[in-house]
Amino acid sequence: MDDRLTHLRATAPDLILRAETLDALHEVEQSVVGRTSPIAEIRRTLGQLPPEERPGVGRAVKEVADELAELIDTRRAVLERAAADALLVGDRVDVTLPGLSIPTGGLHPIQRTIDEICEIFIGLGYRVAEGPEAELGWYNFDALNTPPDHPARAESDTLYLEWEHHDELLLRTQTSPMQVRWMEQHPAPSYVVVPGKVYRADTIDASHLPVFHQIEGLAVDEGITFSDLKGTLAHFAHEFFGARTKVRFRPHFFPFTEPSAELDVSCFACDGGQSDCRVCRGAGWLEMLGCGMVDPNVFTAAGYDPEVVTGFAFGMGVERPAMVRHGINNIRHFVDNDLRFLEQLA
Amino acid sequence: MKVSLRWLREYVDLPDDAESVARALVALGHEVEDVETVTADWSGVTIARVLEVAPHPDADKVRLCQVTVGGDPIPVVCGAWNFEAGAVVAWAEPGAVLPGDFRIGVRTIRGVESNGMICSERELGLGDDHDGIIVLDDDAPVGTPFADWVELPDTIIDVTITPNRPDAMSLVGLARDLAAHFDTGLRIPAPEPTTVAGTVGTRVVIDDAEGCPRFVLRQIDGVHIGRAPYRMRRRLAASGVRPISNLVDVTNYVMLELGQPLHVFDADRVNGDFTVRRADDAETMETLDGTTRRLDPTDIVIVDADGPTSLAGTMGGLRSEVVDTTSRVLIEAAAWHPPSIMRTSRRHNLRSEASARFERGVDPNLPPLAATRAAELMLATGGGSLVDEVVDVIARPIEPAVISLGVDYVARTLGPGFDSAHIAELLGSIGFGVTGTDPLEVTVPTVRPDVVRPIDLVEEVARLHGYERFPETVPAGPGGGWSPEQRRAMQLRTVLAGAGLHQAVNLSFLAAEDLDAFAYPADHDGRAVVRVVNPLRDEESAMRTAVLPGLLRSIRHNRSHGRPDVALFETGKVFFARPDATDPRIPAQPDRVAWAVTGGYGATELGAEARPADIHTATALLRLVAERLGLDVALEAATEPGFHPGRCARVSIGDRTVGYVGEIHPRTAAAYDIDTRVAAAELDLAALTAAVDHRLLAAPSPYPQVDFDLAFVVPDAVPAADVVGAMHQAGGALVEHLAPFDEYRGVGDGQRSLAVRVRLRSHDKTFTNEEAAAVRAAMIEAVAGLGGALRGVA
Repeated sequence: MDDRLTHLRATAPDLILRAETLDALHEVEQSVVGRTSPIAEIRRTLGQLPPEERPGVGRAVKEVADELAELIDTRRAVLERAAADALLVGDRVDVTLPGLSIPTGGLHPIQRTIDEICEIFIGLGYRVAEGPEAELGWYNFDALNTPPDHPARAESDTLYLEWEHHDELLLRTQTSPMQVRWMEQHPAPSYVVVPGKVYRADTIDASHLPVFHQIEGLAVDEGITFSDLKGTLAHFAHEFFGARTKVRFRPHFFPFTEPSAELDVSCFACDGGQSDCRVCRGAGWLEMLGCGMVDPNVFTAAGYDPEVVTGFAFGMGVERPAMVRHGINNIRHFVDNDLRFLEQLA
Repeated sequence: MKVSLRWLREYVDLPDDAESVARALVALGHEVEDVETVTADWSGVTIARVLEVAPHPDADKVRLCQVTVGGDPIPVVCGAWNFEAGAVVAWAEPGAVLPGDFRIGVRTIRGVESNGMICSERELGLGDDHDGIIVLDDDAPVGTPFADWVELPDTIIDVTITPNRPDAMSLVGLARDLAAHFDTGLRIPAPEPTTVAGTVGTRVVIDDAEGCPRFVLRQIDGVHIGRAPYRMRRRLAASGVRPISNLVDVTNYVMLELGQPLHVFDADRVNGDFTVRRADDAETMETLDGTTRRLDPTDIVIVDADGPTSLAGTMGGLRSEVVDTTSRVLIEAAAWHPPSIMRTSRRHNLRSEASARFERGVDPNLPPLAATRAAELMLATGGGSLVDEVVDVIARPIEPAVISLGVDYVARTLGPGFDSAHIAELLGSIGFGVTGTDPLEVTVPTVRPDVVRPIDLVEEVARLHGYERFPETVPAGPGGGWSPEQRRAMQLRTVLAGAGLHQAVNLSFLAAEDLDAFAYPADHDGRAVVRVVNPLRDEESAMRTAVLPGLLRSIRHNRSHGRPDVALFETGKVFFARPDATDPRIPAQPDRVAWAVTGGYGATELGAEARPADIHTATALLRLVAERLGLDVALEAATEPGFHPGRCARVSIGDRTVGYVGEIHPRTAAAYDIDTRVAAAELDLAALTAAVDHRLLAAPSPYPQVDFDLAFVVPDAVPAADVVGAMHQAGGALVEHLAPFDEYRGVGDGQRSLAVRVRLRSHDKTFTNEEAAAVRAAMIEAVAGLGGALRGVA
C-alpha cells in the first residue's frame, strides 16, 4: 500500500475524532478526503500506474476513503446534535416564574357541599327536588303539624310576604314544606332530598344570616322503621365526615316527626377527646341535623295513607357543616363573595 | 334549666358520677348544655352555735362571742351585729383557709384572744352580702362541715327542655324520667302540714272554664315575711333564681320542684271573692312590675270586688301584692289554658318562668298538691297557721287520656322486638297505666299533656327503650338521581366556573338602591316586587326581581378590597308579585343565571394586562354556555333597564326571549361605584337547562376544504348576525365554518367593513374551483341583498 495511504489511515481517525466543532471537522475533511488530500492525489495519479496495479491501489484508496467518510459522518452527527443541544440550553427559562395567567373560577363552597350531600343520597337511590322559597303557611307549618299559635310562626321568627292571592305567604323557614309538596305530586315510595334556601327573621352576625341553606330528606315506603332512619343517617355521616365518625341519636321534638331525634357526630377535630377543642368546645359532639319518623298527620295532610306507609325525614343546615369542615368561624364569608375567600376552593 | 344535682337526688336515687346522670338525661331527650362542678372554695368552716354574746371589754365596734361546735365554748371576736346568742353560724376555725387564700388563725384583738372567725357570705365567696354574718336555720347541724349544709360540692347540669315536655321543667319531672332510666325509686313530696280548722275567706267562681279548668286557694294566717332558710336560698341560687323573701322563694322553690307556678296574694288586700274570667276591652290593671296594662278579652284575669287583681298565669297585680307587713296570705295554684297564657304573655311581652310553663302545659291536676306543698314550706319558714279548708274549684275536669295501642302499630314504626310486655314495662316505668295485651289500653297521667295519640306512645316507647339500642339498616330508594334539568344546571355552573367565573351566593333581597340603579319603568317586571311584611332591615324589605344587582354589589365589595378584576356568576330565584303559572297560590319565582365580569378577563402573559371585559366577553360566555348545553341561541340588539343602550342584546331560543346579555349601563354601574365596563347577562335558568333531544354528531368528511375570506362594506344598521345568516343560507350544507373575524369602520359614514372567514367542505366529493366560486358568488349576492358590497369592488 502506498505509504501515504498507510499514513493517512493511521493519523486521520484521530484528527476526525478530535475535531470539536463542525468547522474544525470541515477542515479535517478537506485535508483527508478533499481535493488536495493524499487520497485525491492518489486517485488523480491512478492512471499513471501500471495497469496491473491500478485495481489494487484503486480498491485500497476506496477502502480508506469510505472508512474515513463514515468516521466523518458519524463525527458530524455527534457535533450537530451537541450544537442543537447547546441551543436548547440557551433557550432555558426560569421555570419558577408564574407563566401564563389563566383565569380560575369555581363553585361556591355552599354549592359544593350541597352537591356532595345530594350525591351521597343519590347513591342510596334518592332523587333531588327543589321547591318554592316564597311558600304558603299551609305547607311550611300547618301541613307539617305545626299549630297556628306555634312560636315559630311569630313575626319575630318568620318573614312574611305581602300577597293578595292567598292567605299567609311567607319565606319558608325550612326545606320541610317540600316534603308535603313532593308527596302531593308523587305516589309512594318517595325517596328524595331537597336542597335550597331558607329564611329566618335573624339579624346578621357571625353565626346568623336571614338567608341560608338546608337540605331536607324524605324516605317514605311500606315498612320504613326507626332503624332505617338510624342506618341511613349513620351512613350519611360516615360518607360525609369519614368512616371514623361516631354518631349519636338523641330524642328531640319536632312538630312534624314522631319519634324525633337529633343526630350528633363526634367532633372531627378532636375525636371527642379534648376539653379545649376549638371546634366542639369540649363537648365532643357536633349537632348535625334533626330527624324523625314522619308524623301521621303530615301523611294525611299530604294525601298519603298513614295506615299504609311509614317514613322518616331529616333536615340539616348546609352552612354549618361547611363551616365545620373548612374551619370558618364567620358565616358572613358565604355571602360576601370575596374573591380572596372563593379562590381558595377554585 | 339549671339543675342542682344535690337537690335532684332528693327525689330519685342516682349514680354517684354526674357524667352518668348527664348521659341519661341526653338519652331521655333532655339536652345537656353544660355540666359545671361547684366546689366549696374554703376549708375548715364548721357549723357552730353562738352560746353567748358579750361586749368587748376594750372595743365598741366588736363583740366577744362564745361559740360551740359541740364541745367547750370557744371565744371569737366578731364585728357583725345581725345575730344574738343562740344563732347558728358558719365558723372558720383556726387553720381554715377562705377564698383568696385567706388563712385564719388565733389572734389577739385588743387584748382578747379570738379563735378563728364567724363568716359572712362574701367572705366565703357565696354572695355579695357583707352587712352581717351568715345566720343559718336553727336546725342546721352544729359541728358538721358548713360545706355539707350548703350542699357543696354540687354539680349544676344545664338542661334544655324541649317544648313538648313541660312536665320536665321541674326536678320531680326529670326525676320521673331518670327513675325509669335507672330503674330506681321516685320520691314525690307528700306534704302533711299542720292545719287549723277554718274556712278560706275568699271564695272562687270560675267564669271561663276553657281558660281555667281548675283553681286552688289555701290560706295562711299570721305568717311572717322574712328570709327563706339558708339551704332553700342556696338551692334557688344554684338554679339561677335570685332569692327574695321567704314567701316568694317558696313559690319559686315549689315551681322548680313540682313544675307548678304559684301566686301569693295578701288576703287583706283582696276585696271580697275571686272571679276568674276574660278581661273586658276597657279594663286596665297595674301589674307587679308597676306597669299599667290595657287588657282585652284574650287575657284571663282574677277579679275581686275592685276589679282585676292578677293577670292569670303571667303576673300578679300590684294591688294585692305581698308586702313586708303582710300576715294573711292566699296561695293560688291554678291550671290555665296554654294558648291563652301564650297570647297574654306575648301581647304584654311578659315572659317569665311561670308563663313559660303554663304556655307549654302544666298538669291541670297538680294544683292541690302544689298549694299544700307551698303551704307546708311557708309554715316552716314564716310560721302562721294554715286553714284546713282547701278551695278547689274544678270548672272543667281533665281526666287522664286512655289510648289504645296495638303491638303492630309499635312495630310498624319501631321495627320488630317490641312485645306487649316490653311496651307495658317501658310505659309503666314513667307512671303510665297499662292494661290488656294487644291492644294495650294505656292511661296517660295528666302530667303528660303531650301524649294524646298512639304515635305519641310509640315515641315514649322508643325513648325509654333507648335510641342507641335500635339496630341500623339502610333502605334503598328506586333511584333516578339528578333529573336531566338538574344535571344541565350543574353542567352550566361547571362551564362558567371553568371559564374563570366564581360562583356567588347573595341574599335574595332587593335594596331600594337597586331599583334606583336599574331605573325600571313602572310597568317593568323589575318593579313587580314582592314585599316583606316584617323586615329586620331596610335592605331586606323586598324580594329580588333580578340577580344582577347582588352581583354588582359583590363587584363593589371586591373592588373596594383591591380586586378590580372580578368575574362572578350566580344561580338562584327571583320573585314577582304575580301568581305562579303552575301554582297560582304563590308568586312566580323562576330560577335565573346571571354573570357579571369587570376589569381584565382572560389568559394573560406575565406582566401583561388582560383584555378588559365588555359585551364581547358577555356574549362569548353565552356562546360557550350555548355550545356546551347544545342550545341554539339568537341575539338581537335590544334595550333593557340596567343595560348599556348600545351594548345589549335580547337572547332568544326559538321564539322565546330567555334574557339579556351585554354591558351594564354606566349610570347603573356608577350606582355601585363601578367605573369600568361590566360584561353581564341575566337569563332564565329553566330555558337553558330544559332537556334537549339527543344531539346528533356528524362524521368528519374525508374531502378537502376550501377556505376564503370575504370583506363586505355594509350599512351600520345591518347586524353581523344578518350578514352571517345570509351567507350561511347561500352556502347551505357546504358551510363548515363561517364567522366574522374583523370589523373596520374607516369606510365612510354609516357604513363599516365586515370581514368573514369561510370554510366549505362537501361530505361526498372534492370541490372543483368552479363549484367553490359559485358558492362564493352566491354569498356575495346574498349580502348584496342586505345592502352590502364586496369591499374594494365598485
